[in-house]
Amino acid sequence: MSTSAVSLYLDPQIRDWVLFPITLVMILVGILRHYVVLLLQSSPKKQPRAAIREQRALARSQILRATASNSPLPPHFYTSISRHLSDAFEAGTYLKDGPPKGDAPSTPPNPITDPAAMDGMMAGMKTQMVMMVPQMVIMGWINFFFQGFVLIKLPFPLTLGFKSMLQRGIETPDMDVRWVSSLSWYFLNFFGLNGLYRLILGSDNSADSSRDMTASPFANAGAASPGQPQDYNKLFKAERDNLQFSEGMYSWVGKDIENKVLSRYGKI
Amino acid sequence: MSLSSALQQLASYRANNTRASQETFKKGVTILKSRNAPNLGEDGWAFLEQLALASIDIGRLDVADECTKQLSEKFPNSPRVAVLVGIRKEASESPESVLRYYDGVLEEDSANAAIWKRRISVLKRIGKTEKAVDELSKFLDTFYTDVEGWLELADIYSSCNQYTSSLQALSHALVLAPQNPFTALQFAETAYTAGDLPLALKMFLVVTEMVERDIPAPEDSAPTGISVRAWWGVKLCSRRLIESPPSSPSASDTPVPKTIKLIDELATERVLTSYSGEQGAEGRQLVSQWISAY
Repeated sequence: MSTSAVSLYLDPQIRDWVLFPITLVMILVGILRHYVVLLLQSSPKKQPRAAIREQRALARSQILRATASNSPLPPHFYTSISRHLSDAFEAGTYLKDGPPKGDAPSTPPNPITDPAAMDGMMAGMKTQMVMMVPQMVIMGWINFFFQGFVLIKLPFPLTLGFKSMLQRGIETPDMDVRWVSSLSWYFLNFFGLNGLYRLILGSDNSADSSRDMTASPFANAGAASPGQPQDYNKLFKAERDNLQFSEGMYSWVGKDIENKVLSRYGKI
Repeated sequence: MSLSSALQQLASYRANNTRASQETFKKGVTILKSRNAPNLGEDGWAFLEQLALASIDIGRLDVADECTKQLSEKFPNSPRVAVLVGIRKEASESPESVLRYYDGVLEEDSANAAIWKRRISVLKRIGKTEKAVDELSKFLDTFYTDVEGWLELADIYSSCNQYTSSLQALSHALVLAPQNPFTALQFAETAYTAGDLPLALKMFLVVTEMVERDIPAPEDSAPTGISVRAWWGVKLCSRRLIESPPSSPSASDTPVPKTIKLIDELATERVLTSYSGEQGAEGRQLVSQWISAY
């Protein structure tokens, strides 16, 4: 092992003209795309009052249900709120466009025809493009000019398992794992620069590219605007059943409170 | 006082929601004079808003105008600045023109909750209670989670002697903040005022249980804070319930507990304990007189 470690001698020019440029370019591109994404981000769209009301109606019954098993509300008040919500959901009072007319089967809105939903999706795609394109360009650049380069030697020994990670693009079974190839150096930077970006740009930066690998543009759009096409009418109908379940589970905090207090003071 | 320490103080006011307007104004004006807010970075804008509100509070409208001008130049379409401008208008202009301004803002962005709330408060101030209640109910129907809104609605209702409606509004506040004994206490007191004694008794007991839950040996320690008030409530309810047992079920259908006698004894004991010690001697005598009078 020790003989093979000294058997390679790296030209310092590689360090100056390949290793540092790759690292620098990646950092700068990350910072650049942070600002490009900031420019591309459209301000969240304002929603009309009716839409907000529709969205938040579900939260109302969820709050009520969450407290049902140990509710601070006396039975009289609990049932009145619960019944009121249930009736409103049944009648569709909270729907954005008012109660549904007639008994026409409600079709879930098509996201392609709904301009509001389309906007959210486009915004997601745009940021995705800004994320992916520079990375592809850099990778092409490295592959074209520096293919098969060995850039640095890590100062600590590693097991053979790291070979595929650190020596991508070099097909030599015998080389010490501590040598890092150019393509692998790119990947190390790709995943490892996040901490540096956080130092430079703050914790909420959009320079980190490894994050995009897991996120799809649609997931992103869904998070950005919770008002994605949803059939609220159906959701409300389902919520009615939940309300009924909770009504069965309901019990008032004050039901046996007198005995609880008395026994705490040792009176009974 | 140096600028940085003044800034720090102001930032802590902001974080803690302290209203100390006079202090804020004194410190804020020196900062405003010494350099421009943009040099303060991101915090500078929050500082300007704070200073504007403080100077409206103490009537220095010229300073407030200066702040709002800088803010609206930086954020031309911000709803937050719109609220600030509205508050500034409320300070000097007639309610009608303020309402017109708010209507204009709401027309553009019907979901601007802060403007909507200010509009309601103006309506309430000029005595249009009915309209204010109407608007507030609509507001709460959209922004259900606003606990303060529900408490305000309950307050307006009980100021009009509409105790049942007030109880309903309070019940929403209770669901939203079940951990807050003050809301429960208000609920109990409103129920007592509405004449629903069994319900009031239960809620008072809930409050005492909530407050004294973490005290290891409650019978040895005197009640403090709101639990004194809650025990008084228990005492009042139980006394009236024993004196004249209700013939018909209460409005909320809450049964009178069978152990009402024991509760009355316990409440008497607890109320008297709260007057223990030197300072409480006089009060204790009065209370025992009041208790034995029946």
